[in-house]
Amino acid sequence: MTDRSTLRGRDMVSTSVVGLRSRRGRTLLTALGIAIGIASMVAVVGISSSSKAALLAQLDSLGTNLLQVQASTNGLSIEPLPIDAEPMIRRIDTVQNASAVIDTGFEVRRNEHDETLVGINALGATPEFFNTLQVATTAGRPLDDGLRSMPVVVLGDVAAIRLGISELAGGPTISIGGHDFAVIGILDELPLNPDLSRKVLIGDRAAVAMLGVPPNPTAVYVRVDPDLVATTRPLLAPTANPGRPAKVDVSRPSDLLEARAEVDQNLQNLLLALGGVALLVGGVGIANVMVISVLERRGEIGLRRALGATRGHVRLQFVLEAALLSGLGGMLGVLLGSGITIVYARQQDWVVDLPPSALLAGVGAALGIGMLAGLYPAAKAARLDPALAVSGGVA
Amino acid sequence: MSPATGNPATGNPAVLELDGVYRTYPGSPPVEALVGVDLRVEAGEMMAVVGPSGSGKSTLLNIMGTLDRPTQGRLLIEGTDTSTLSDRRLSGLRSARLGFVFQSFHLIETLSALDNVAAGLLYRGVTGRTRRTMAQAALEKVGLGDRLHARPTKLSGGQRQRVAIARAIVAEPSLILADEPTGNLDTATGDGIVDLLTQLNADGSTIVVITHDAELAARLPRQVEVRDGTVLPEGQR
Repeated sequence: MTDRSTLRGRDMVSTSVVGLRSRRGRTLLTALGIAIGIASMVAVVGISSSSKAALLAQLDSLGTNLLQVQASTNGLSIEPLPIDAEPMIRRIDTVQNASAVIDTGFEVRRNEHDETLVGINALGATPEFFNTLQVATTAGRPLDDGLRSMPVVVLGDVAAIRLGISELAGGPTISIGGHDFAVIGILDELPLNPDLSRKVLIGDRAAVAMLGVPPNPTAVYVRVDPDLVATTRPLLAPTANPGRPAKVDVSRPSDLLEARAEVDQNLQNLLLALGGVALLVGGVGIANVMVISVLERRGEIGLRRALGATRGHVRLQFVLEAALLSGLGGMLGVLLGSGITIVYARQQDWVVDLPPSALLAGVGAALGIGMLAGLYPAAKAARLDPALAVSGGVA
Repeated sequence: MSPATGNPATGNPAVLELDGVYRTYPGSPPVEALVGVDLRVEAGEMMAVVGPSGSGKSTLLNIMGTLDRPTQGRLLIEGTDTSTLSDRRLSGLRSARLGFVFQSFHLIETLSALDNVAAGLLYRGVTGRTRRTMAQAALEKVGLGDRLHARPTKLSGGQRQRVAIARAIVAEPSLILADEPTGNLDTATGDGIVDLLTQLNADGSTIVVITHDAELAARLPRQVEVRDGTVLPEGQR
């Protein structure tokens, strides 16, 4: 007969499970602490990841091949773009479409006698505007070649709301610089160029002829070959203004949207840290409950020592109990966090994006915290004098 | 005839030998629980260690069960000197050679009688199937073959102590140490437990019963009395 104390791995686990099962209520409540921490972390990661996925999906549908060329606002004086900037840019092979716009600086009114609407400006645009920006009208029709010098206007969606015009029945008109313009259309939203929502569009020729603004474009919108955006971009400034390319700014509106996907990183880190604090508190809770458990179960510990458990077996049993407890909390937390993410993403009409690595990390973090939390109580249990423990008196 | 050598005439090997054992608990003043105890338990014996509370018999039980170590002196279990063994070796020795029965049963409430008894083999490294087979045999031996799956809360006090006894014998230890095994039971039930222990002894188990109950002690073939930390010479009570 060999006098070796041996506990099989399977028995180790089931011994720890017995310890947890005998105190179901407490086990669940303690695990809940960990679950809340893990759930909040999973939800933070899941929601921001879903939000990012939704934003990127939107970007994909909007395209990232729209560039905006305008006179540089850096420096002492603004050098207007040359009148032929748009046709020059069109000559670049990789440019699919371009449209020059002239900001007239005129604010609009409902009628001659009304106040001007602050921030709602008239913009002269070439007919290619609609194709270049790939925007449709929700009511009426866009400007075309034939209307280029006529007193007609297409309203940006926000401008239309400010003007109180939601439909074209009855032939509404608005007043720009003392001239009446017939409203012929209302634009759809422009997610990439929200500034254009607050404009009203008139023909570029009408702007020059009726409002007397200089014919130099304030900006040229350029739609380029999606695969050649990077090579086309540096060509735009010298083409638009060959004499003073440094006085030209080229930007990509989609970059702003893309930046928004990254901007939340700081907030996300803060929320993750809060989740981490909740997790730590959960871990302390586990340590606390395990210390109490060790005191209550002196009798059981003494019995196990009498049955031949080594100090190591007792220590392992309690570390494992803490880890299982916390792991249970981790799994609950992952389920809870995933649920929160799914509900929230559905409400926002986002695609649910739950990175599997985050789910695994959630359970892993819980297990790790549990083991750490179990170390001290387990050491206490292992150090118990078996003779005292066994007389500890548990029926 | 000295207690240290027992009765060499029988020729039985010693299962347990205490050799000049002292146990002093630190403090001011230090408490001398055991003062030079010599005792020999032979294979096949059944004896009572009797004494009033505070006499040192609980300390003696803990030392005999290797749950506590002598401050001075030696404890030999089947010839192995335990004073130099590591915790691991000592635990192994307990799991293989010693069986414990406690006054308060020490059963795990959430486990069935069968699993409680099987726990007696938990640290022996045998498979769950083997443990259960052996546990069933042990429960049948103590007359609980029909209550294998009952939880301790569904059992009477006497039945619980029978489960505990089954757990003590399941690993077929060299020595069974029973600490006030009838202490929580009424007289009739207690008598049943003593009968069971007597039966087990007749089947070959070596049993030491620690008790303050002189009446119970008188029913056992050999009695050793503890007073003030020493074992009184046998036959002089």
